[in-house]
Amino acid sequence: MKRFVGMWLVIGAVLVGLVGLFAAFYALAALAAKGAVALGFPGFFGSSIVNAVTLMAVTLMTLAALLTVAERKWSAAMQDRIGANRILVLGKFPLGGVPYLLADALKMLTKESIYPAARSKFLFELAPVLAFSPTFALFAVIPVGPEIRAMGQTVGMWVANPDAGLLWIFALAGLSVYGTTLAGWASNSRVGMLGAVRASAQMISYEVSLGLSLVGVMIAYRTVNLQAMAIAQGADVLGPVPALGILLQPLGFLVFFTSSFAETKRAPFDLPEGESEIVGYFLEYSGMKFGLLFLAEFVEVVILAAVTAAVFLGGWHPVFFEGWMKANLDPLLFGAICAAAFLAKVILLTWLQLIIRWLLPRFRYDQIQGLCWKLLLPGALVNVFVTGAAVLVDPSLQVLAWIGVAEIVAIFGITLAVSKPQAAHGDAHGHAAHAAGH
Amino acid sequence: MPYQIDNRPADTRESLYFPEIFRAIGLVVKTFWRNAFFSRDGNTDILERNRVRNRVTTLQYPEEKAPYPAGYRGLHRLVPRPDGSPRCVACYMCATACPAQCIYIEAAEVEGDPIEKYPAKFVIDELRCVVCGFCVEACPKDAIRMDTGEHPAPTYTREGQIYDEKRLLRGPPVSYEKDPWLVRPSKLTDAAQKANRAAARPFGTLGTDEYSQTPGFSVRELAAEAKARGEVGK
Repeated sequence: MKRFVGMWLVIGAVLVGLVGLFAAFYALAALAAKGAVALGFPGFFGSSIVNAVTLMAVTLMTLAALLTVAERKWSAAMQDRIGANRILVLGKFPLGGVPYLLADALKMLTKESIYPAARSKFLFELAPVLAFSPTFALFAVIPVGPEIRAMGQTVGMWVANPDAGLLWIFALAGLSVYGTTLAGWASNSRVGMLGAVRASAQMISYEVSLGLSLVGVMIAYRTVNLQAMAIAQGADVLGPVPALGILLQPLGFLVFFTSSFAETKRAPFDLPEGESEIVGYFLEYSGMKFGLLFLAEFVEVVILAAVTAAVFLGGWHPVFFEGWMKANLDPLLFGAICAAAFLAKVILLTWLQLIIRWLLPRFRYDQIQGLCWKLLLPGALVNVFVTGAAVLVDPSLQVLAWIGVAEIVAIFGITLAVSKPQAAHGDAHGHAAHAAGH
Repeated sequence: MPYQIDNRPADTRESLYFPEIFRAIGLVVKTFWRNAFFSRDGNTDILERNRVRNRVTTLQYPEEKAPYPAGYRGLHRLVPRPDGSPRCVACYMCATACPAQCIYIEAAEVEGDPIEKYPAKFVIDELRCVVCGFCVEACPKDAIRMDTGEHPAPTYTREGQIYDEKRLLRGPPVSYEKDPWLVRPSKLTDAAQKANRAAARPFGTLGTDEYSQTPGFSVRELAAEAKARGEVGK
């Protein structure tokens, strides 16, 4: 019981801490905007530079680093284990395994870098950077919080807000395949090359369904700008229910989530680094170069969760009590609560990714390609046509929302309609044999 | 309990693939919820743990140790008398019985007593010990026991595994009459116990060659013949 209460207290403390953190971030951005205006520049120059530090360097990197700890502890909880708890702070407190973060970083940084003699020298150094930086840059266009007025300035919680937001994401997500391919190629190892080939084939295949799954969202919200998309998701569509992406595009959400999972190259799509067959494209890397490739994966998980949250889960909208909060709270506090809600959605989605990671065994290679080309791609295409037709018929999105509700109900219905358990073992065997015989 | 696996072809719903994954996500979420939000029963006897909510079976080893069974042969100890001196009388029975020859004893006479002896040195090399327990069986004074329930502590040097009489002499000054497994009540009735005792063959006959070998075959006779032929060394 003590643990039960404690866990809820921890969750509450994390949420309150996030609100406080983002209030501070908003204040910093507003101050920087004020400074930029004083120097004669547009205000968003200052706030964007501050946001680049606070969002990308602090929030994203901390999330990705904490994900390594969560990977240990959450996986343990899913597998009836305890997980990493041997580092005791002050000889007493395991602190949920968080100190392992420092131990990991220290190990990665101080380990010897071993270079294969037959490597391609320049590309070998370049590959980890190429794997890490495009992934990292993806976060620039994620709208973490709404645009608010604070200290006489209009500040937003994003680094950049280009009109081509989703296209930027497609472009940079496509670039990250170069890092993995070059890593395998430049290390001049057969096994690494095999991993690189697998990675490139898998990522290029899934990019098709990744892109197509978002076309439906673009049609529905009539924009590719992520901030505009987040704002559009706050509008009510079915009575008081807001037009969340998951409501309008359940099929698109499924296809996108699955494809983004494949893009991160994690289990069950971890063929490029299948430990039991080939070690993977980073086989020849050691020390911090391996660390970068490793961290790129975690950053990618966080970012694709962030994109999913921004496009399908209502972006920074806290959804519940939003109108009341907007009317009664200080704009700074409201913005902070919205940003905290967004981060909570991101954490929830990474947790869901971890659950699926431990749920499914690794796919066979033909199964991966089959899932992409035979299931996800047709699904995405059907989704595009249905969405287009529904928006054409009814531009107020009502028809699309009802189609989405029907899809969700159908998925739930099929999921809950479990086939009857077989009465007795011998009986079941007889039936199966009978069915097979005919 | 092992899961029953039903090897039938997937039905239509299952071959849709995603519905089954959704169901399984629910399963893993349930497991996560149980293990993350409810506290673990730290009972070292894992089979007796309450695993209704939290299902973790991990034993946090250095802090939690699984109990050994009652008859576990652990690290030796020299049993003290109530006054603290060793019960051992340096009769060399254990050293003789030891198949690994890991016991070294130096006897000394008790001052002012023409009969009584005591071990001036009693050294056991735990690295040689094969933990057979013969020394405990051989001891006529119940002076050496393996009832500590510990194993020799790990050391960085071999010398650390050589236990002398100062390290061995510890524990309570008990004797067989006080051993818990002798005083625990029998499940048999008094009459049945009496009958068992009456029917029991006395010790010492079971292991001799007359009883255990093929009729007509005797190790002793063979040994005597060999001796007669002069094949046995002096």
